Amino acid sequence: MDWAMLIEWVVKALLLTVILLTGFAYTTYLERKVLAWIQVRIGPNRAGPWGLLQPAADGIKLIFKEELIPAYADKIIFVLAPVITMIPALIINAVIPWGREVVIFGRKVALYLADVNVGVLYIMAVASISVYGVVLAGWSSNNKYSLLGGLRASAQMISYELALGLAFLPPIMLAGTLNLREIVEAQRSMWYVVYQPIAAFIFLVTSIAEVNRAPFDLPEAEQELTAGYHTEYSGMKFALFFMAEYTKMIAVSAIFASLYLGGYLGPFESQFPWLGPVYLALKIFLGLFLMIWLRATFPRFRYDQLMALGWKGLFPLALLNVVVTAGVLALVG
Amino acid sequence: MSLMVLFVLMGALALAAALGLLFARNAVYAALFLVLNMLALAVLYLTLGAPFLAMVQITVYAGAVMVLFLFVVMLLGAETLREEGGPIAWQRPLAAILGGVLVGTLSYILFVEATTGKILPPPEDYATPYALSVKLFQDYLLPFEVASVLLLVAMLGALVLVQIERKRRRNDDQTSD
Amino acid sequence: MTTLVTVPDIETRFAGVITPDTRKGYQGYIVEAEHVRAFAKALRDDYGYDYLASLTGVDYLPEGKMEVVYHVYKSTGGPGLVFKVQVPRENPVVPSIVDIYPGANFQEREAWDLLGIRFEGHPNLRRILLWEGFWGHPLRKDWREPYFEEEGKPFSSRWPHGKHFHHEDKNPFGKNVDYPPGFDPYTWEPDTADEILYQAVLQRSEIRDDLRTERVVVNLGPQHPSTHGVFRMIVTLDGETIIGLEPVMGYLHRNHEKIGERNTWIMNIPYTDRLDYITAMANNFGYVLAVEQLMGVKPPERAEYIRVIMAELTRIVNHLWAIGFLLNDLGAFFTPALYAIEERELILDVFEATTGSRMMNNYFRFGGVARDIPEDAWDKLVQLVTDRLPRKVDELDRYLTNSELIQSRTIGVGVLTAEEAIAYSTSGPVLRASGVPYDIRRADPYSIYDRFDFDVAVRYHGDVYDRYLIRIDEMRQSLRILQQAVKQIEQEAPRGAPILAGKPQYQVRVPPGESYGRVEAPKGELGFYVVSTGKPNPWRYHVRAPSFVNLTALEAMCRGHKIADVVTILGSIDIVLGEVDR
Repeated sequence: MDWAMLIEWVVKALLLTVILLTGFAYTTYLERKVLAWIQVRIGPNRAGPWGLLQPAADGIKLIFKEELIPAYADKIIFVLAPVITMIPALIINAVIPWGREVVIFGRKVALYLADVNVGVLYIMAVASISVYGVVLAGWSSNNKYSLLGGLRASAQMISYELALGLAFLPPIMLAGTLNLREIVEAQRSMWYVVYQPIAAFIFLVTSIAEVNRAPFDLPEAEQELTAGYHTEYSGMKFALFFMAEYTKMIAVSAIFASLYLGGYLGPFESQFPWLGPVYLALKIFLGLFLMIWLRATFPRFRYDQLMALGWKGLFPLALLNVVVTAGVLALVG
Repeated sequence: MSLMVLFVLMGALALAAALGLLFARNAVYAALFLVLNMLALAVLYLTLGAPFLAMVQITVYAGAVMVLFLFVVMLLGAETLREEGGPIAWQRPLAAILGGVLVGTLSYILFVEATTGKILPPPEDYATPYALSVKLFQDYLLPFEVASVLLLVAMLGALVLVQIERKRRRNDDQTSD
Repeated sequence: MTTLVTVPDIETRFAGVITPDTRKGYQGYIVEAEHVRAFAKALRDDYGYDYLASLTGVDYLPEGKMEVVYHVYKSTGGPGLVFKVQVPRENPVVPSIVDIYPGANFQEREAWDLLGIRFEGHPNLRRILLWEGFWGHPLRKDWREPYFEEEGKPFSSRWPHGKHFHHEDKNPFGKNVDYPPGFDPYTWEPDTADEILYQAVLQRSEIRDDLRTERVVVNLGPQHPSTHGVFRMIVTLDGETIIGLEPVMGYLHRNHEKIGERNTWIMNIPYTDRLDYITAMANNFGYVLAVEQLMGVKPPERAEYIRVIMAELTRIVNHLWAIGFLLNDLGAFFTPALYAIEERELILDVFEATTGSRMMNNYFRFGGVARDIPEDAWDKLVQLVTDRLPRKVDELDRYLTNSELIQSRTIGVGVLTAEEAIAYSTSGPVLRASGVPYDIRRADPYSIYDRFDFDVAVRYHGDVYDRYLIRIDEMRQSLRILQQAVKQIEQEAPRGAPILAGKPQYQVRVPPGESYGRVEAPKGELGFYVVSTGKPNPWRYHVRAPSFVNLTALEAMCRGHKIADVVTILGSIDIVLGEVDR
């Protein structure tokens, strides 16, 4: 057993987790600031300079809140559900290539955690697992409306997973591999968003529906009688749900960047490999800004309109796109 | 070596999950144990060098089929099972016989055939997407198409059932004025 | 300003049954109780008075009579007709006219609740503003509130020497709280009236012979982020479709009308601010109009212009708020709301400079307004009205109206037809969005509205989208009126002209009589029915609140829609709990 490799993995995993969790905290801050600026307000500016310590304040508050478990709720699953929601959000980031290889202390270290040959499939698999947390949260609250809200949220996620899966296909077909790092490398000549604008658009829309963000956030809205599947949650368990949502936002932006926007590629990246993560971070920031902008701008879809859009609009479009792409590739060779 | 350790661990986990599935009182717990079982199976596939199959197992089985199972169980509120009567009289002996057949066959294969070299190790890239697709779309095309027609029939059946329900509901709306 | 009519041939037709009301200061007809239904039906069908504006009760304790007062108008416009039914005070029973004028539903329940007048034939005669189990009828003249001091203010413990004490301080363990006979506060356990309510609601909803569907009663509780205040709706669902909706209100009931009877006339003006707290000036306007009719006082020119300017600015304030919160209910997370509220803040700055307060203005007086608009506030106002607000309203229209998401959520949702709208006595934007061009400023003009050139906004589909569009239309028409008003005021009554008829006084003497003053408040028809006996305090003070009466149509609008639409439909009616519950 190569101890150096083991240590490298452990360090990289820890570093990635820390970066993700800090990123989540500051994504909440980013959201509040950007929303505020769009709404002609200022946003948090009291906790720390420019309000930068606001996420810390929120975290401390949530830790000190009373942990309530409803009377006849299923205690084990009630407590586990937020954890089950959080884990896929974290592990989906394992296959994202943050850069190429760099040399640290005389050792070649690759700037990604796992170079899996079926990277894209791994992402699909983890996305499918993330449905469980929502369903179990709704069920374990012992509240009829939480259950219905949870089932609807998960039905929404499953429906949009179809179109999402089909939107994954064009970059795979163009690059000829399921390995995410090789897909990024294949975009050295031209980013795939130029070849596949429709698939990029479908990917964006379906991933926003997957993450339950506006305008697809009816399961969390007050019009759903209760606040949907996380009504009965308070304190740190509630924080875990939001952690999962924002971490998924970051992950989805990173995946979109890797598949369509050239991942860690950018000017002068081949000479200075450390620029790779910087470029990827910029693209992730762009994706996050887009999602926050959408939330500030649009009203939300009603549930039946949402499902109709997913099944009758995006899924056929994605399918058609795949067929046309395959045809063109077969013709061109 | 580490792969062997992982294999044994996952096997034990799969076994434990299966036992949990059998003995769980609550239908939702049973479904969740089944999900755990499938996840353990996926890791087993990984250790055997079939990553594609592992991911597909998680995506399709654990991620879609079991979610639908859970939907049905939760909507019907079947979490609390009641023991209705006892087992049917001839079930226990039949189960014992069939179980014995299974154990016998498996042990024969495991201890006799495997050691005499009748079972060959698989080729290096036997489970890559390329190899799988070649087999699926060239050698086994007909079963593939038959399976997809079966799925199509199931989808159409579901649609028809919904249409019947909708028509019945619309008639009720019109008559009860 | 209403001039109520007498219709001569009605007297011949119903001779012997009705008598003209000849009390000093009173108008209309007194109808005998048994014949009121035939009379109302004839008014609606034969004489064209199809719009019931107000229904209220008055307790005449000295004469031993309870009176129910009805105000009806024609939906084509014009002055209205008032008729009354008098019944003995002990056990008053009046036939209900709910099947003739469905808009009487909630108003009859209120008369039962607060005065104890029983309406025979009412489908659901339960308390509306107070809870089932409340003992007594608060607006009765022999009902004393806890810590009752005197019949009318100013209380002698407060005035004039300044050394006042609170009555409750003198009597800490005193027995001036009235308990029902046999009630022991130490052993009483509150019963859950809610289960009974839900059972009643479930049975009242339409019976379907369908064993498979599950009818569920769901409570959109008083604590809900989208119900615009403490308002509760009990919804009966069939799957996800609404088959019945029962609004439960009264969580903000403050017995405003009884307080009004204790106050002096001029003390009531700040209390009217707190009715529809978003549009304080409009409430002031209605009240002073009603009392000025009784006093026979006419405000000077400059005061009239200022009143119109303030009323129209209030209309813009209200519609900005309403549109913002309707969009918020649709899910556009506060962004359109904050853009609209930014404009409202600028208008509120003008209010603050003029009246001293942003929202609870207390500005109008009997015979004029309290003070003139300062110079710099006037300049700001002119700049707003001529330049900034028209641009901003156009901007709001541009980025909201054609949004496909908004259109798909609101077109065809919550439809109210014109006949239903008139029958349910809806008013304001709700009525006009259903195709009935009834605007009190045109139909029954008051103040100086007949001098301005403006159109009555009307839309014809009656759904939520039209109610949104009509508020934008009304804002544009208000801006038209404002632009004409700021020009005309410079010519007709420049700065320095008097703004109050007569000297400012604290104690006004109002001659005896009754008066119904109605204004086109931004939410609908706001009417004040006041009865004076010549004393410094009103004998009866009733507020006909537009939000309260508009809610009668809520069930009809929501039936058949999904539960997610209820909040949208409620947002489009635009209610404020301050005036729903008073």
